[in-house]
Amino acid sequence: MVFAITGIVTVLMFVEYFFFPQDWIVASTVRNWSVIILNISLGLGAVRLIMQHVMGTQRRRENWQFSALFLVAFVIMLFTGLAGYLSTGVATSNSVYNWLFNHVYTALGATTYAITGFYIFSAAYRAFRARNVDASLMLIAGCFVILSNAPVGEVIWSGIPAIGEWFRFVGQVPGMRVFGIVGALGTIAYGFRALLGKERGFYAGGAED
Amino acid sequence: MSGQNIFDKLQNIDRKVFYWVLFITLCVPFMFPLALPIKVVKNTSDLYDGVTGANIEPGDIALINFGYGVSAWSECAPGIAVCTKALFREGARIVFMGSHYDVELTYNKLRSDAAADFAGKTYGEDYVFLGYFTGGESAIAQLATDAWTVYPEDHFRTKVSDIPLMKDFHGWEDIALVLSSDTGDVGSYFLRQWQGAHGTLLAEIGIAMNGSTDYPYYLAGNYFGLSIGSRGGAELEVLIGEPGEATTSMDSINASHILIVIAVILANVGYIVQRRKA
Repeated sequence: MVFAITGIVTVLMFVEYFFFPQDWIVASTVRNWSVIILNISLGLGAVRLIMQHVMGTQRRRENWQFSALFLVAFVIMLFTGLAGYLSTGVATSNSVYNWLFNHVYTALGATTYAITGFYIFSAAYRAFRARNVDASLMLIAGCFVILSNAPVGEVIWSGIPAIGEWFRFVGQVPGMRVFGIVGALGTIAYGFRALLGKERGFYAGGAED
Repeated sequence: MSGQNIFDKLQNIDRKVFYWVLFITLCVPFMFPLALPIKVVKNTSDLYDGVTGANIEPGDIALINFGYGVSAWSECAPGIAVCTKALFREGARIVFMGSHYDVELTYNKLRSDAAADFAGKTYGEDYVFLGYFTGGESAIAQLATDAWTVYPEDHFRTKVSDIPLMKDFHGWEDIALVLSSDTGDVGSYFLRQWQGAHGTLLAEIGIAMNGSTDYPYYLAGNYFGLSIGSRGGAELEVLIGEPGEATTSMDSINASHILIVIAVILANVGYIVQRRKA
């Protein structure tokens, strides 16, 4: 059944791509279904998340306090958002919801992302060692690319941006092209194997290994 | 520990020392700004050229996707603000949408960052905010063929049939260009479903980490321009002649990048000397 549905959808999308330059109502309808199904899966994910954390809290699993905190935050955001939605149609019209989003979530989000800078700094110090020729080359390239990304690089020496760009475009781009092309070919091969019933992995309806 | 020489110590500096040094170094430029000149690279100037001058006509519709959340504001928001200002000044109309759940915060920030340009524009006629969408690549593909099915209403629950601007936007053929700003994959969805399939002009304003993934597409002409990280945002601010958040952040970028290189050099001096002794 999975193969049949996947196969039909694939053929529909191929037909639309090659024979209908504008819009084809059949393919468009199927795409709408997929968007609806994806939206349903979002709700399903939320329900599953709640179940997971309720169980974690009830059974006092390791770090259950975080699960309890998650549930409290979830309930507060859900009800304040719903209150705004029911009164005006827009969730963010509720002042409590807005305050939490603007003054808690925003600050936490920015802080979490900024903290990675400290870890990257420490990790670069520990990992970038000229242990052999390969590591030395990577070290030199990394330093030039880092300095070429900052305006101070050009102030130190006008050649730094040029060398950094050389590493970026001539050194790095061919590698990324290879990754992209190999990934695309692999996806096509995987798709064909899935359609022919030869692929038994999770995406083809089989069990997850 | 007492038997360690200077070269051992150079290799084993406590990470807490680095955290403090970095913190203090990042604070210094706020008190004593360096304001070093910022060189504009070609991928950024191509992006700016694409949203200004002869490349955009008054009345053209541009689609701007917020594919980033609050955490990536420092890298993506300045570039989006500059492009929004430039597009508005060219008389273009803009459709804003987002694939990130905190899209409304990002939209509000943009309205604040480009307040003077929004002030002269009318909601629904010159710009519209469609809000958050789910559905990933399928939704982006559907947006290209029948936008009203993905967004029957805008963010404020007005039916799109009642919005004048939306009467001119049904699919890819109505859009002059797309700007996708991402921390993830949404730019590549537009690449496959809009640029590849229909030849729509597309540019990316991404985080620095995405730069290496995006360069091949820019060089192949799939992206007409590319802004990478805070540096890209600062370059765009230079091009429009209005220094902003990204230009300010360049001082911190200068300090932190120099510090990383110094730390790596120190560690390697210790490592190389020790290896020669051994």
